[in-house]
Amino acid sequence: MQSKIDKFTIPIGPQHPALKEPGHFEFSVDGEIVTDASVRLGYVHRGIEKGTEGRNWVQSLYLLERICGICSHVHATAYCLGVEKLAGVEVPPRAQAIRVLVAELERVHSHMLWLGVAAHEAGFDTLFMYSWRDRETVMNLLEGITGNRVNYSANVLGGVKCDISAEQDEAIRQGVDFLEERTRHYLEVVTSDMMFLRRTRGVATTPKAQARELGLIGPTGRASGISHDVRVDAPYAAYDIYPVKLITATAGDLEARFIVRINELFESYRVIRQILDTLPEGELTVRMPRRIKEGETVSRVEAPRGELFYFIKSNGTDTPERIKVRTPTLPNMASVLVLAIGHQLADIPMILTGIDPCFSCNDRMVVVKDSGGDNRAMTWEALRQYGIEYYR
Amino acid sequence: MNTLTTIITLLIFPGGLCLLLLGLAYEWVDRKLVARLQNRVGPRWFQPLADTIKLLAKEEVVPENVQARLFTVLPVIALAGALTSALYVPLFGLKPAYSFEGDLIVAIYLLSLLTLCTGLAGANTYNRFSLIGATRTLTQLFSYEAPFLLALFGPAIVAGSWKISEIAGYAESHWLVLTQPVGFIVALIGLMGKLELPPFDAPEAETEIVAGALTEYSGRGLALFHLGKGVELVVGLTLVAAFYLGGVANPLAFFVKTLVILLGLAGLQALFTRLRIEQTVGLWWRYGALLVLVQFLALIVWEGWVA
Repeated sequence: MQSKIDKFTIPIGPQHPALKEPGHFEFSVDGEIVTDASVRLGYVHRGIEKGTEGRNWVQSLYLLERICGICSHVHATAYCLGVEKLAGVEVPPRAQAIRVLVAELERVHSHMLWLGVAAHEAGFDTLFMYSWRDRETVMNLLEGITGNRVNYSANVLGGVKCDISAEQDEAIRQGVDFLEERTRHYLEVVTSDMMFLRRTRGVATTPKAQARELGLIGPTGRASGISHDVRVDAPYAAYDIYPVKLITATAGDLEARFIVRINELFESYRVIRQILDTLPEGELTVRMPRRIKEGETVSRVEAPRGELFYFIKSNGTDTPERIKVRTPTLPNMASVLVLAIGHQLADIPMILTGIDPCFSCNDRMVVVKDSGGDNRAMTWEALRQYGIEYYR
Repeated sequence: MNTLTTIITLLIFPGGLCLLLLGLAYEWVDRKLVARLQNRVGPRWFQPLADTIKLLAKEEVVPENVQARLFTVLPVIALAGALTSALYVPLFGLKPAYSFEGDLIVAIYLLSLLTLCTGLAGANTYNRFSLIGATRTLTQLFSYEAPFLLALFGPAIVAGSWKISEIAGYAESHWLVLTQPVGFIVALIGLMGKLELPPFDAPEAETEIVAGALTEYSGRGLALFHLGKGVELVVGLTLVAAFYLGGVANPLAFFVKTLVILLGLAGLQALFTRLRIEQTVGLWWRYGALLVLVQFLALIVWEGWVA
C-alpha cells in the first residue's frame, strides 16, 4: 500500500480502449485536470527500414507499403517516385494520374475513418457508425480498382498495375456523388450539433505561432492556419496537372480540425472527377532497370495525415543502401503532450485522436540505457528458457 | 398459505426472478433500439441473458489491496437494493406488493443504493481508472439526484400523498405529462443519468477510464451489478410511466407505456455526444434543478391556493 500519493497518474496504454494501436501515455491529473503528460512509443517497431536493405528494389516496395494499413498507397508512391527519380525514368502520364486518383480515394477513406474514430472518442457513436458505413463505399471502389481493400499494391516501379475501365469510371463517379452528399451532411453535423460542439469548440486550441513552434503538419497544422501542403507546395506525380486547393482554417481547435479534414474531402472529390474526365491515354508502365544508379534523393508526398518524407540512397546495386522514412505522426505527436496540460481528462482521447495518430507507422527503436552499467545480456536460448520458466 | 404467497411475491412474481428477466429483456430492447438507430444489427434477443449466465459461471478475481469482503458484498447489496425498491412500485400493472405512507422516498433511495455501491466498489480498489470512475459516479449522483427527486415529488404534491400506489391511482385519471411537462422531462433525463446511459456515461467512458468504477469487477460481481442496472431500468421506467403517462393500471398499459419511454430514451442515447462530468453537473444545477424547482414551487403555491 502506498503511504503517500504525490501525483495521481492515469496510464493510457499500451492496451487501452482509447488506443487502436499500442502506445503508452501517462497523464498526471489533479482531479479531472491534466497537469503533466509523457509518452513512450516503440511498441510496434518492426524494423522495416533495416528490412529493405536485405531486399531488392522491387521487394522493398511491398515491404514499405505495409508500413501503414490506412495510407499504404502514399508510402508506395513516395518510394516509387524517389526510385524513379534516381533511375532517371519518366513514368507515363496515365500512370501518374491513376496514382493520384488512388491517392485521393485513399485520402477519402482515411479521413472518413478518422471522422468515425474521433466521434467515437467523444462518445458520439452514432456518427461513428454512420461514417464507417459510408466509408465502405470508398473501400469497395478501391477494391474494385486494385483488387485489395487495405494494401492496394496499385504502384509498381515505373508505373501502376491497374487501369481504369469504363465501368470502374462509372462506379467511381456514382460512389463519389453519394459520398459528397453524405460528407455535406457530416460537415453540417460537426459544425451545428450543439452537444458535439461542446466537446470540440475551443478544445486543444493551437494558435498559428504555437503550431509552428510544435512543428505541426498536415491537416492538424492547416487547422491552425499553417499553409503547407506538399501537393500544393511541391506538386508530385500528376498534381501539377490536377492542382489541389489548399484548405486551411484559423481557429486551431478540434472543430477546425474536423472542418479542415471534411473540406479536404470535397477537394478530393473534385480532383477525382477531374482526373476521370481528363484521364490521359497511354501506357501504364515503363521499363525499370534492375540496378538503380548510385545516388541519393528525397521524396515528399502528402499523406492523409501530413507530409511523408522518404530518403533513399542507392549504391548502384539491386538493393537499397539506406531508406529513411519519416511519417507525419512523429512531428505531430509532441503537440498532444503540450496541449493536454490544462485540459480535462475527458478531452485527452479527443486531443490524441485530433492529430490522427498512426502509431505503428512512426514507431522508432528505443534504446534503453541502463544507468547502473549492469547490462543484462541474454542469448536467445536463455530468453526462451526464461519465458518457459516464468509461465510454468 | 400466506407465507407461500409472500415467498412467491418476493422470489418469483412480480419481484425476484420475473423482475430480473424483465430487466434483461428491457436491456435488450434498449440495446437493440440504439443499435438500429445507429444503423447496426444489434444483439440477439437472448444476448443479455447469455452474458449474465456466462459471467455468473466465471471466476471472480478479487484484486490485491482491496477489502475482500466489501468487494464481494457490494454487488449483492446493490442488487438487493434495486430488487427491494421494485416491491413498492406497480410492476406489470399490478398493485405494488408492499405499500406504506412515504414509500416513494424509500423506493427512490433504495434505487440510489446501486449507484452508491458502484461508487464504493470503485473507491475500494487501487485501480486508477476505478478511482476516477468512482469520483465521477458519485459526482454525477449528487448532480441528478435532487432534480430527479423533485421531479417525482411533483406528482406527489398534486396527488396529496407520499404513497406510490396512491399517486399512481391519482395519475390514472390525470395525464401529468401535460400539466407538468418540465417534471416529466427532468425525470426522464434524470433516469438516464441514474442509469449512466449516454450522454451521461462519463463515469464509465470507455475511451478515457476503461469501465470506470467497475473496471476490477469480473464474473459474479459484474453480473450482479448488471442485473441491478436492469432492475433499476424497469423500476425507473415504471415510476415515470405511472406518475406522468396516465398510470399503469393493467399489464397492457404497463408494457406499452414503459416501452414508449424506452424508445424515447434510446433516441436520446443515439442523438447525443457524451458530456464531460463538469458539463453534466453544470447542466443539472444550472438548468435541470432550477427549472424543476420553479415548477415545484409553482405546484405548492397552486395547491395551497386551491386548497
